[in-house]
Amino acid sequence: MNPLRGIAVFLAAAFIQWWWSTHFSFGGLSPQVLLVLTVVLAARLGQNLGMCYGFFWGLFLDAMHPQLFGADALVLMLAGYGVGILRRQIDLADILPLSMVVFLATWLYFLAQGLVSLAFARTFLWIGWRPWVADPFYNCLFVPAAAVCWEWTRAQR
Amino acid sequence: MREIRISNYILAVFSALALFLLSLPLAAPVRALKACVIYLCDPMVYYGAQGVGRLADVPTGLARLMSADMENQRLRAELQNALWRGSELEALRAENQRLSQALGLKVPGRREALWADTIERDPLHWYNSVIVNAGARQGVALNAPVLGVQGDALVVVGRITEVRRDAAVVLLATDEASSIAAVLSTAAVEGLVQGDGGPTLRMNYLPPETELRLGDRVFTSPTSATFPPGIFIGRAISINPRDPFLTFQSVEVEPALGAAMLHRVMILRPEARSSIEEVR
Repeated sequence: MNPLRGIAVFLAAAFIQWWWSTHFSFGGLSPQVLLVLTVVLAARLGQNLGMCYGFFWGLFLDAMHPQLFGADALVLMLAGYGVGILRRQIDLADILPLSMVVFLATWLYFLAQGLVSLAFARTFLWIGWRPWVADPFYNCLFVPAAAVCWEWTRAQR
Repeated sequence: MREIRISNYILAVFSALALFLLSLPLAAPVRALKACVIYLCDPMVYYGAQGVGRLADVPTGLARLMSADMENQRLRAELQNALWRGSELEALRAENQRLSQALGLKVPGRREALWADTIERDPLHWYNSVIVNAGARQGVALNAPVLGVQGDALVVVGRITEVRRDAAVVLLATDEASSIAAVLSTAAVEGLVQGDGGPTLRMNYLPPETELRLGDRVFTSPTSATFPPGIFIGRAISINPRDPFLTFQSVEVEPALGAAMLHRVMILRPEARSSIEEVR
């Protein structure tokens, strides 16, 4: 990926995450845009790029909160790695399998955040039942949009 | 094969870096990296919030412009009254200060209000923290009290835990790490209001003999190190059953300002020396 295009994708995604969670959270819920994009990038471009994006997007999320610095970076980077491995086993080109991966990745993301918090802050970070139940679906709704954007970006090249 | 080897290297390097960041949050390199990340990310959030605010204001701007003149006339009249009240208040404050000094009481430092807008909040940390668009450049200090407005009254929101150049992180009263010395209005007893990461607060350490009533109002205590006294925190909504192994009672408190209402907050900052001298 062209470095300038890479930086633009990074900044645009971070901006969308901030914008959506701050101004468009619905009933206290908003999609984990950066998690979805990490999964989509790892599925489309391979785990190396997915891990790099996941790590730096995670740092962005960590900088927004006073809690553990590095937790989101670790978890999103691992998400990129995991999807990269999964990509070799199953075909993630279609939206349906990709959505299912995002669905499961959301739960694993919440669980991993809790475990990292338990390990480094001695408290399990529980996000609440409502995001736990609803956010995987919400994230899945974002997958087609991310995939369409991806295809459009590829067509522009 | 080569790609797998590279990905393993990336995994090892990033994992080690993340674990280092998590293990040593107070180490100088970690703080430097965090400051660097914040320096790079903050302008996007800060100017993004300004842009969104301006766009959102466009439709209402015209209507506001039309009513502004009428409101301006009314406010001018109110300002005349406020000026008189202000000078009266200033005289009372000076007298209070003089009498406090004569009695040997500690005179609290004067503070001035700074209004700020919420520019970042995440549903996953809904009851923990928000970021506001005022920082070191605007004179925000660490641990400065943050208040909100509910109706005509000022209410407690939280305190500043991180100051950036043009933004600051507010730890909400509902966060687990937050605690505020408070007083219960009807029983006039002191306790400690603590957050639990959810929508309600808990007021602990109330004397066991105190008669507690639902709907009791909770205010900040004069002994609070952070907040001015008499600021409304919330109302008691349930009394926890007495635990025979504890020497105190506790009540659940509903915060005066719900987490969803934190659009605009007031930060109290120490008054600039020059302006104090100017008033004197």
